[in-house]
Amino acid sequence: MHELSMADAMIKTVIEVAEKNDAQEITEVSIELGEMTLLNPEQLKFMIEVLSEDTLLEGAEIIIETIPLEIKCQSCGYSGKTSSDELDHYAPIINCPECESMELEIITGRECNVKSIKIEKSDENAQDS
Amino acid sequence: MHKIAEVEIQHDIMLANKRLAKKNQKILNKEKVFAIDVLGAIGSGKTSLIENLINEMDHQIGVIAGDVISKFDAGRFKQHNVPVVGLNTGKECHLDAHLVEHAFSDLPLDEIDILFIENVGNLICPVDFDLGSHIRMVVISVSEGDDTVEKHPLIFKDADLVVINKVDIAEAVGADQEKMVSDVHSLNPEVKVIKTSLKTGQGLQDIIASIESFIKEEQI
Ligand SMILES: Nc1nc2c(ncn2[C@@H]2O[C@H](COP(=O)(O)OP(=O)(O)OP(=O)(O)O)[C@@H](O)[C@H]2O)c(=O)[nH]1
Ligand SMILES: [Mg+2]
Ligand SMILES: [Zn+2]
Repeated sequence: MHELSMADAMIKTVIEVAEKNDAQEITEVSIELGEMTLLNPEQLKFMIEVLSEDTLLEGAEIIIETIPLEIKCQSCGYSGKTSSDELDHYAPIINCPECESMELEIITGRECNVKSIKIEKSDENAQDS
Repeated sequence: MHKIAEVEIQHDIMLANKRLAKKNQKILNKEKVFAIDVLGAIGSGKTSLIENLINEMDHQIGVIAGDVISKFDAGRFKQHNVPVVGLNTGKECHLDAHLVEHAFSDLPLDEIDILFIENVGNLICPVDFDLGSHIRMVVISVSEGDDTVEKHPLIFKDADLVVINKVDIAEAVGADQEKMVSDVHSLNPEVKVIKTSLKTGQGLQDIIASIESFIKEEQI
């Protein structure tokens, strides 16, 4: 799976933004992860932690919020959550809970979003003096 | 004295890839290149199929070959005297739009009519990563077992053309080809499914005809 490349891309984004904001340290990173991305949150978190050694991000708290799968059914018009019990890496099968159709539009669940970060920066006044 | 600040980012990695893919397609359209993302299981016959198409099709062809560690497939394509870029994906399990954009600069796009992009042999990871190609061709073979389609529905939902290869050995491996075809159609009713054997040449002309009609539709 591609947790590694996702972790890498996320770290790049985070560090870029942190540097632009003159951060001395990043204390927290919030990530939204859709169920349908089939990325394992624990694995992703682990990889971010490993890859952030010796960077501004080292030691930051990584918060991953899972975004549930929501679909719109093209057959019966149902729109909303659907059971994702059967979602796994090997057999990601989804059906409409109303009519079992597999012709679905995915509304949420594909996110892989770096939402925000908390950073520590030196006080501007302190810097001036 | 320290100040704590919260910084909004809202940077979606998947959307970023989609944007890059759109940009890639613009470049391809400008250069009048029709691009085909070739996906499929490891060893299903992606490289062999592209080699056959290079020989049989009446177009200038170029190839981007994604390989996890070696440049082995790129070497095979070079023997056909077509422009090839090997993308070493390292530990990656898929190509992404960014890697493909890099490959463009090493290809004479103005001389190419059809660009095949051989993705990494994997039925899961490449699904979410558009590359900017005009169509996606998924190549599986009977030797992976006739439950392959059921087990990996997502890749078939997004496919424009599905190839079920190695039908010459279907009986030997006990695979039910018709089940594979109907499994694809239950996921993606409109998609064209072609059974092939690159050993006997079965189905190859159907694939060519299908690609030609996609090119016509795209008006490239
Ligand atoms: N019997 C039979 N063998 C085939 C057929 N097509 C390909 N092969 C063989 O299958 C093996 C793998 O073919 P490749 O073309 O290298 O497959 P691939 O999908 O590019 O493999 P990777 O890039 O490693 O994932 C080779 O030994 C081919 O000769 C076919 O139609 N019938
Ligand atoms: Mg190959
Ligand atoms: Zn429905």
